[in-house]
Amino acid sequence: MQTTLAALAVITVGYILAYLVFDRLRDRFGYVGGAEYVVIGFLLGPRVTGLLGAEQVQDLTPIVSLALGWLGMLLGTYFRLPALAIIEASHLRIAFTEAVTTFGCALAALLALFHYVSGYAWTEAAVQAVTLAAVATLSSTAAIDAVTRKSGQVSPIFPVLQLTARIDALVAVAAFGLLLAIFHLGQVSLKVRPPTATEWAVINLAVGVSSGVLFHLFLGPRTHLQEAEGNSRLFVALAGAIVVASGASYYLNLSPIYTNLVLGFILANSGSSHRDVTRLLLNTERPVYLALLIFAGAAWSPSSPELLFVAPMFVIIRLGARFLGGWVAGGPAAPAGLKTPRLGRALLAQGGIAVALAVNYTQVRPDLNADLVLTATLVSVLLFDIVASREAGDVVGRTSGSMASVPEDAPRAEPMPQ
Amino acid sequence: MIRRLVVLMLLVGGAVLLEPLGAPTEGVIAPRSLFLFGILLLTADTFGAVAHDLRTPRLVGYLLAGLALGPSVAGVVPAGVLEDLSMMKRLAVGLIGLLAGAELRIGDLRDRWRIVGSILTFQTVTVIALLLGATLLLQRWIPFLAGLDREAVFFVALLFAVLLTVNSPMVTLALLTETRASGPLARTTLGVVLVADVVIILLFTGAFSLAQASLGTAVGAPDIMMGLLRGVFGSMLAGALVGGVLSLYLRFVKRELVLFAVVVVFATAAAAQELEFELLLSLLVAGFLVENVAPVRAEPLLEALHQMAVPVFVIFFALAGAELHVQGFLALWPVVLGVALIRMGGIYVAATGGSRVGQAEPAVSRYVWTGLVSQAGVALGLATIVADRLPVVGIAMQTMVIGVVAFNESVGPILFRWGLLRAQEVKVT
Repeated sequence: MQTTLAALAVITVGYILAYLVFDRLRDRFGYVGGAEYVVIGFLLGPRVTGLLGAEQVQDLTPIVSLALGWLGMLLGTYFRLPALAIIEASHLRIAFTEAVTTFGCALAALLALFHYVSGYAWTEAAVQAVTLAAVATLSSTAAIDAVTRKSGQVSPIFPVLQLTARIDALVAVAAFGLLLAIFHLGQVSLKVRPPTATEWAVINLAVGVSSGVLFHLFLGPRTHLQEAEGNSRLFVALAGAIVVASGASYYLNLSPIYTNLVLGFILANSGSSHRDVTRLLLNTERPVYLALLIFAGAAWSPSSPELLFVAPMFVIIRLGARFLGGWVAGGPAAPAGLKTPRLGRALLAQGGIAVALAVNYTQVRPDLNADLVLTATLVSVLLFDIVASREAGDVVGRTSGSMASVPEDAPRAEPMPQ
Repeated sequence: MIRRLVVLMLLVGGAVLLEPLGAPTEGVIAPRSLFLFGILLLTADTFGAVAHDLRTPRLVGYLLAGLALGPSVAGVVPAGVLEDLSMMKRLAVGLIGLLAGAELRIGDLRDRWRIVGSILTFQTVTVIALLLGATLLLQRWIPFLAGLDREAVFFVALLFAVLLTVNSPMVTLALLTETRASGPLARTTLGVVLVADVVIILLFTGAFSLAQASLGTAVGAPDIMMGLLRGVFGSMLAGALVGGVLSLYLRFVKRELVLFAVVVVFATAAAAQELEFELLLSLLVAGFLVENVAPVRAEPLLEALHQMAVPVFVIFFALAGAELHVQGFLALWPVVLGVALIRMGGIYVAATGGSRVGQAEPAVSRYVWTGLVSQAGVALGLATIVADRLPVVGIAMQTMVIGVVAFNESVGPILFRWGLLRAQEVKVT
């Protein structure tokens, strides 16, 4: 009894201290993250109080898988084809260039790190490197949003940054999904031939597409949703859909984030309920992200001495890759009116999908340095969340001024469609 | 409806097709349970919509969905899966407790204490007396009384009667949330079922130790009685602590209340398991203290809890439905039905009489009984304690209690909705 009460006291005091520290950061630096929630999770977890032990973590799988799928589905709903079709080609060029360059640079550096420095075989190095490169590629506009809200400045580069953050997420989730298909783990039934890597990739896509089509039919026309109790019932239906799709993905040892991305894409592009779906997903994004942080904190169990080297290296690699990707996309690849060589600095914040990918990795590849991947991700997310607002504010300030001299006929950034 | 059912069947069919490709690793936990949990949610939502179209409470649909998929009927969701999902149910119970406590306003209780007190007293005395008498009269057909001596028959029957006096705060709150009912009937019913929850646990403690003594297993009876009393007062103490934490959070942080409520409920559930106190009671006390005692505005918390209410009710009632054992009802249906009807009659007489003595409004006098018929988690939880600690007699009694609860859980919400409609307190039909 005393142990449990002590555990509760530790959690309460720990949370209050963490809250006070990060609240100060919020005030001084415009901090956009939720590190205090990682602290709560860590305090709840087996490393400190043990209230959230391995058994409880197992019991909470539905909530965690819901959170992973929720973020994946939200990402999928951003890619609505009619809205994508009217985006300036130059914006898409900038976004894809930034995403692919960042991913490529991070992947090359991480492969070298894991293979040549840490001494892993190519396959093992590739699995870890692709996962961390995907995490490195992810960006979020949270810092830009915060700066815009605080200063009232509206940067013309803002829509480009929004699009770039989403393309970053698309590239990262697709890469992670393909990774789990190509380097698939686990034995299938003896009655069937083990699928090839390509077949697993197709199966992964097929699960997402068929789930999307079925849930489109399940949700029905928009009028049906309006007749119902609205958000609450839609929440239940979406939660059910996500949990079912995630359950199927876990069963096949594939990525539920990728499956739900495809599911979200289908829902966004079919039927008339896409606005309700997107609005609900957006409204609940923040609590879902914070819930994931708590879970990640609880699952965090740093033990390998390798962490002391790999985690800082990952932060440096991400920083380099981000700057380089931003420089290529905002420099040579950008048209005259949108030249922003410091684009990468505005995209330092990582957001929820980075944590989601790392948590997903710990679930599907517990055999291969799961702690290392989770730790590197958490360190990177928490650290970049602290500096992101200041860097983003700098970029916004510069672009707001520079646009005054842009010629009238220069291509303008369009707002990102919802 | 048909479209949705076809989709659900296609989903299950698709899962069967994928079965040979299943390759879960040890890091991925119970994907089958996860998948079936999703199917259960979607089915519950569908059945809830059908129930609503048929002008019955949605929660009856949720229960039927759980029952249809659960081990008793189709077996799509087996018992092992329900075990995997037990934490989800505990979280739902905790959130419902917190919401119920926060809904109970001291002002309402002060205004209606005479009515609530008199209905509660009449209900407790009448229902226990009637059920005790009926059980003694029907003892030849009641399996758990077979072979006991006269003294044991009396005290075991008393324990059975006390178990069946329990109401259901979950059903009451779910229905009030669904219909957004407000008025004297809604407030009185909520007051009675919440206060009854505490009273019944105390009565159960006494009846249980008497039954134990009469069965000759009284060696540990005082210990068990102390344990249960400690459970009640420990729950209240834990509730006060949780209420304090919630108040501090509302005073100084006031962010991400939905998430914070879930974390608090989870931590309380973990502590309750460790320290053996009652989760529902402790969070009920916590919610009540935050709403009525703490020097903070509790509306934001209440609003956050209301946002979660529908999904939480779907989870709770769908899982509760899946756990219902129809076999328990079918095997003994004439006796179970008889006991359930006697209980319902007793509640009608007691609630009507009690509310008249308490000088309640005419609508309350006429319809308050409809809100007291439902039974759910608390009754089943107490029956489980009996089954665990009174070998043979306890397990047979649990089977019968489950049968009666299954009946009351299905009929009670329909009756209460009807009562609220007749009292014209329903805002959303």
